[in-house]
Amino acid sequence: MKNKITFGSFEAICITITLITTQLFLNLPRSMMEAAWTAGWLLTVYITVLALILFLVIERLYRPFEGKDLLDLGEYIAGNTGRIIVGLIFIFFFLYINPVILREFCENIKIIALPESPLSFVMLFFITCMIIAAYAGLESIVRFSAIIVPLIAGGYIIIITGALRYCDVSRITPWLGNGPYEIFIKGMPRISVFVGIILVYFLYPFIRKKSLFKTVGYRSIILSGIFFFTGVLVFALVYQYPTGTENFLPIYQLSRLVDYGRFFQRVESMFVIIWVASALLHLSINLFLIPYVFKKTFKLKYYKPLILPFAIIVYALAFFPENLTSTIELEKHFRNFAWLVTFLLPIILLSIAGFVKPVEKKGAGKSE
Amino acid sequence: MRNFLKSLLLFKEPNKAEKFILKENKQDTETKTGAKDDSHGESKNSETFLNKILGSKQDDKKKEETPEESKQESKIDKKLSKNLAYMKKVYSIPVNGDIILREFDIMVKDRAIPAFILFYDGMTDREIINNYILTPLMLLSNLDIKDDPKSIIHYIKNHLLPQNQLKEARKYVDVIDEINFGGCGIFIDGLDRAFAADVKGWEHRGVERPNSEQVLRGPQEGFTEVIRINTALVRKILKDENLIVEDIIVGKRSKTPCSMLYIKDITNKSLVEEMRRRLKNIKVDYMIDSGELEQLLEESSFSLIPQLMATERPDIVAAHIADGKIGVVVHGSPFVLLAPVTLADLLQSPEDAYVRLPYAHLLRFIRFLGILLSLLLPGLFIAITNFHQEMIPTDLVFAIEASREQVPFPSLIELLLMEVMFELIREAGIRIPGPIGPTLGIIGALILGQAAVEASIVSPILIIIVAVTGIGSFAVPNFALGLSFRVLRFGYIFLGAMAGFLGITAGLFIQGILFVNSKSFGVPITVPTGPKTSASASSNKLIRLPIWKQERRADYLNTINENKQPKVSRKWINYNQNEGKDENEK
Repeated sequence: MKNKITFGSFEAICITITLITTQLFLNLPRSMMEAAWTAGWLLTVYITVLALILFLVIERLYRPFEGKDLLDLGEYIAGNTGRIIVGLIFIFFFLYINPVILREFCENIKIIALPESPLSFVMLFFITCMIIAAYAGLESIVRFSAIIVPLIAGGYIIIITGALRYCDVSRITPWLGNGPYEIFIKGMPRISVFVGIILVYFLYPFIRKKSLFKTVGYRSIILSGIFFFTGVLVFALVYQYPTGTENFLPIYQLSRLVDYGRFFQRVESMFVIIWVASALLHLSINLFLIPYVFKKTFKLKYYKPLILPFAIIVYALAFFPENLTSTIELEKHFRNFAWLVTFLLPIILLSIAGFVKPVEKKGAGKSE
Repeated sequence: MRNFLKSLLLFKEPNKAEKFILKENKQDTETKTGAKDDSHGESKNSETFLNKILGSKQDDKKKEETPEESKQESKIDKKLSKNLAYMKKVYSIPVNGDIILREFDIMVKDRAIPAFILFYDGMTDREIINNYILTPLMLLSNLDIKDDPKSIIHYIKNHLLPQNQLKEARKYVDVIDEINFGGCGIFIDGLDRAFAADVKGWEHRGVERPNSEQVLRGPQEGFTEVIRINTALVRKILKDENLIVEDIIVGKRSKTPCSMLYIKDITNKSLVEEMRRRLKNIKVDYMIDSGELEQLLEESSFSLIPQLMATERPDIVAAHIADGKIGVVVHGSPFVLLAPVTLADLLQSPEDAYVRLPYAHLLRFIRFLGILLSLLLPGLFIAITNFHQEMIPTDLVFAIEASREQVPFPSLIELLLMEVMFELIREAGIRIPGPIGPTLGIIGALILGQAAVEASIVSPILIIIVAVTGIGSFAVPNFALGLSFRVLRFGYIFLGAMAGFLGITAGLFIQGILFVNSKSFGVPITVPTGPKTSASASSNKLIRLPIWKQERRADYLNTINENKQPKVSRKWINYNQNEGKDENEK
C-alpha cells in the first residue's frame, strides 16, 4: 500500500464529520433558530469561519508537537500530574456527553418509530452495538465509517433536495434575524457545535503524516459547516421562525415532507436507517474514547476490559434525566461550555508547552 | 460450564501471538520503517518471534518423530530377501489384497539376477508396467549391448528402464511414498538402492463443465480431482515459467499432496512465506477435500465471511494468480483455494470480465440487488408490517390485510414457517437421488406454497417474499458467501420483528463492524472501500473500469510488480506509432 499511515485522510474525515454533524439530526437547526431567529444560517457560517480560525491557531501551535495527542502534551508540561488532569477532564467530558446523546437518540427513535417499546429496550440495541464496535476497536470503526458515511450523506442530500420545493425565500427575512450583536457576539459560544473536532487531536498519533492532520481538520470543519448550513437554511426556508422553534426533530420534519408520487408518500421511516446509523457511529467512537483515554491517562496495559464497565456506566447515566426535555437542557448546558475543552484547552496547553521544557523526556513523545 | 462463564466474565491476558500482516516487499520495508495497521515497528520482533515459532516447531518435530525415526531412516539392504521381507511386513502381504508383488529374474550377461516389483493394482497402468518395466527387464535384457556396462545399476537404469520419471532411492520410505501414490517400486538383488517408476494410472473423472459456477460466456472447463491435471489446467492458461507450483504434503495418514501456485515475480514474498508456513504447520491425520484445508488455513473459524475463496474454474484461479494472489490445489478436490480474498472478489462472477462493459454493469447491479434482497427482504417485510405500516400505501395495506384475514398466525411465525420450509426443500433437493432432484424440489415448493395458501396457513404475499428471497440467494456467485447470507437472513428476521428498522440497522451496523474487522491473510475483507486504497486498486471491483484502463494490480496485495499493462494497452488507437509506445519500450 502506498499509504503508510494507519488511517488515510478519507477515513479520518468521515469519522470526524460523523462526530461533528450527528447533532444535525437532533435539534441543531432548532437551536440555531432560537439563537438567531431567521438568521440561523448566518450563524452557522459565522461559527464555521470561527472554528476554522481557531483550528488554524491550534494547528500552528501544534507544529512542534507532531504526533502527540493532548494527553501527551499534558505529560510534556507537567509530567504524570499534567497527563492525569487532562485525562480526567476528557473522561468527564465524554462521560457527560455520551449518555446525553444516547438518551436523546433513543427518545427520538422511540417517538418516531417505536412508540410502544420501553426506553430501556430501545437503548439496549444502541448499547449492544456500541460495545461490539468498541471491542472491534478504533480501526474497525474508522474503516466502517468510510463505507457508511457517504451513504448517510447521500440520504441527507435526498431529504434536503426533497424538501426544496417547499422553500420560500421570504421566510428567512429579516436577513439579520435578531441583530448582529446577538449573532456575532452572543452567538460565539455556539462554536461548541464543532466539539467533535476533538477527535482529530486523539487521532493525531494514528495519522502519521503531519500534513494530513491539517487536511483532516480543515476538510472536516468545512464539510460539516456545509452540512450545518444546508440543514439550517432549508429548515428555515421551509418552517418560518416562530413555527420552527416549536418543531421537534427538525430534519425529521423535513423528511416527512419528502414524497415521490402517489405511491411513495410516507417514506420517512426509511430515514430511520440513516438516523440510527449515524447515531451508532457517533456513540461508538465516543464510547471507545472513554476507556482509551482512561487507559492512556493511567498508563494501563489494556483498555478492552474497561469497555464493558464504562458501557454499563453510560447506560445507567442515560436514565438519569427525567425526560427528553431535561435531556435537551443538559445538552444545552454542555454546548455552552464545551468549547472550553475543545478549543481553549488545546490552545492553553499548546501555548504553555511552547515555553516549558519537558518534565520527563522519556515519557513524552511516546504514543500508541 | 463454570470455566466458560469464568472466561466470559473475567479478564484474560490476550494471546501474545503476532497476527500476520501483509508487508510491503523487502526492499520497501527496509527503507520505510512504518508498517501498515497497528503493528508499526514490530516487524523485527515478529520476525524473530516467527523464527522462534518455526525453530521450536522444528525441535518439536524432531522430538516427536524419534520413535519413528528408525523406520524413516532405515536404508535399503543389498540382499533382496531382506528387502522382500521388509516390504512384505510394511504392506501386510498377503493380507492386503490390492498390492501386487511380482518376483522375476533379470538376465544380464548370462547371469540371472533375482528381482521383484511392487505396485498397487488399480492405481497404476498395467500396460506401462507390462511393456516398459517387465518386458525390458525380463526379455530385452538378453539383447547384445554394445558398450560394456560398468555396473549393473548403470546398465539397468540407462538401458533397461525406458521411463521418463524414474527415481533412485536409498531409503525405504522414499520408495514407499512413491508406491503409495501410484508408483512402481523395483528392487534388484545386490543393489543397495531401489527404483521407483511413475506409472500412475488410476481411474478419474475427465475435465468437465464446472457444476457450481457456470457461465454463458467464457471457458467451460472445470477442475477435476487430480492434482496434476488441475495444475496443468492453470498452466495451460498462464504460460509463464515464473508460475511456481510448489508441492507440500498435508496429513499424516492421507499424505495429501497440495500445490501452492503463485507467480514468482508478482506475488508478495511475505504472503508466499506465510502460506508456506501455514501449510507446513498443519498437523492432521487426514485431509480429504480443500474444504477441510480451508478451515485449517483460515484465521477465524467463527467469522461469518469466508477468508479463502474456493472455485472450480481454472480461469478464475489464473486471473487471481496473475493479479498476485496464491492458489492452493488439493489432490482429490475439484475446488482450488485462493487467498487473500476480499468481499468484492466474492461478489464477482467471471462473466463480469468476459462480457462488454455496459452489460457487465447491468449484470453486476442485478446481482447486488439479488444479494440485498436475499439478505434483507424478509426482515424488512416484518419490520414494515409490524412497525412502520404508514410506509405502505393505503391500497397495498388493504391488499395485504385482505390476504391475511384468514391466516391464524402472526406474520413472524408465518414467515419463519415458510423460510424453514424453503430451506428444507433446498437441502432435501440436493439429497434426492437422480436428475429429477432439483425439479422435484421446485415442484414441491410450488405445490406446498399453493396448498399452504389455500389451507390459509400462509398469505400469498408471503409466498412472493420467500420466493424472491430464494431467487435472490441464488444470485450470490460464491457458494460460501451465499451460505453466510442464508444464516444472517434469519438474524434480520428476528431483529426486524423485535425493533423494526432500528433492529435492522443495528444488525447491519454489527455485521458491517464484524466484516470490516475480519481479515484474509492480512488483507481487510472490505478493501478497497474501507480502508480506502488508491483508485487504481478499485479497478475491476465495485464498478468495473474498461479492460484497457485496468493498468495496475490491486494496491492491497503489495505485489512486487504493480503494473499490469502499459498506460496505452490498445496501441492501435494511435495513428502515430511512436506515440503509442510507453516508457519501457522506448
